Amino acid sequence: MKIEYIADTGVFVRCGGPNADKYQRLRRAVRQADVELLIPRRVHLELGGKPNNVSYPSRPIPWQEGIEEGWILVAEELEYANPLVSGIMDASRRFIANETNRPEDSIEKTDTALVGLAAQLLDSGDAEKVILLTTDKPAGRAAETLLPEYGFPDQIEYWYASESYLEQMTAAEFIDS
Amino acid sequence: MSQSTTPGETPPIQQLRTLVDLLENPTLARIYTHVLQTEGATVEDLISELDIPQGTAYDYVGRLEDTGLITKARKERPYEFAAEPLSITLTTDGEERTITAELVDAVGRREADKDIDVYLDRHGVDGLATALEYAHEYVDGTVNHRIMAREVDISPLEAEIILQALESVVLEYRDE
Repeated sequence: MKIEYIADTGVFVRCGGPNADKYQRLRRAVRQADVELLIPRRVHLELGGKPNNVSYPSRPIPWQEGIEEGWILVAEELEYANPLVSGIMDASRRFIANETNRPEDSIEKTDTALVGLAAQLLDSGDAEKVILLTTDKPAGRAAETLLPEYGFPDQIEYWYASESYLEQMTAAEFIDS
Repeated sequence: MSQSTTPGETPPIQQLRTLVDLLENPTLARIYTHVLQTEGATVEDLISELDIPQGTAYDYVGRLEDTGLITKARKERPYEFAAEPLSITLTTDGEERTITAELVDAVGRREADKDIDVYLDRHGVDGLATALEYAHEYVDGTVNHRIMAREVDISPLEAEIILQALESVVLEYRDE
C-alpha cells in the first residue's frame, strides 16, 4: 500500500535541542524505511523557508539538511480548483474554529493546508493512505474526522509528535504502519 | 489589589517583593519549586541536587521562609522544608494576572532551557505567563501554535517553540 507521510512544523521544532538527537533518530528512521516526509508549502514557510526567512535565536531547527538529502520534500501546490480539496479545507476551517472556540477567520490557512494536502494525495491516487505527523491536535482531529466523511475511510491516521514518541522513533514505525 | 492564598504572617507588600524576586531570580525560583515538589527537602539537598553554592542556598531559603513561601516541616536539624503551591492574583487597570507556582517553575527553567530564556528576554514575565495560558490550551488540544501566533502577534515558529518548552511544565503540574 502506498503511504504518504505529511509532517508539520512542530515535528521539526521537537527535533531541535542539544545535539539534535531526536532529529538524527527521525532522519535514520525515515531513511531506513525508505519513505519521505512531505511538508506543505505553508509549513515550509513557517519553518523559515524562502522567501520568508525567519530564524529564531535560541537554537537552529534542523530541517534544511533533510531537504537537501531528499527525505524531506516540499509538497506540490494545493489544487484549490479541485472542489474536493477546497471543500475539505473549508470544512477544516469550520471544524478547527469549533474545536478551539475561535472565529473561523482566525484559523490559519496552514492548518487547513495539512488536511487539504492529505485529501489531494488520496484523491489523485498518489497515496492510498496518509499519515499526518503533527503537534497540532485540532488539525489532527480535523483530518481524522473529515477525510472519512469525504470518502476516504480508514485512509488517514494522525500521529501526535510527542517528545517521547520522537525519542523512540525507529524505521519500524514507518514500515509497519 | 491582591488576593493571596500564600500562608505566612509577612505583610503583603513585603511578600510581594519576594514574589517579584521569585519571578526575576531563576535560582530562587528553582529553590521554591524544588521544595514544593520534594517531600522533606533540606538545604543540603538543594546544594547537591540544584548545584547551588552553600551560602546562596542558606540565604535564599531564609528569604523564602521569612515571607512564608516555604515553612519548616521538621523543626530539628537537619531542617526539612515544605511549600504550598502559591496563587496570587494581581489586578491592574482591570487586567488580571495570576502568579502561580507553575509560572515560578517556568521562570526557574530559564537557566537550563534556552527557549524559555530567549522568550523571557523578548517578552518578559508577562509574556511568559500568557504563553503558559496558551500552553494549557495546547495540551488540552483547544489551541495550536498558529492561533497563538496570530493572537499574540509573534511568528508561528516562535509560538511552537515556547509551547513545546512549556508543555512539560503544564504536564508536571497536571500529574499531581
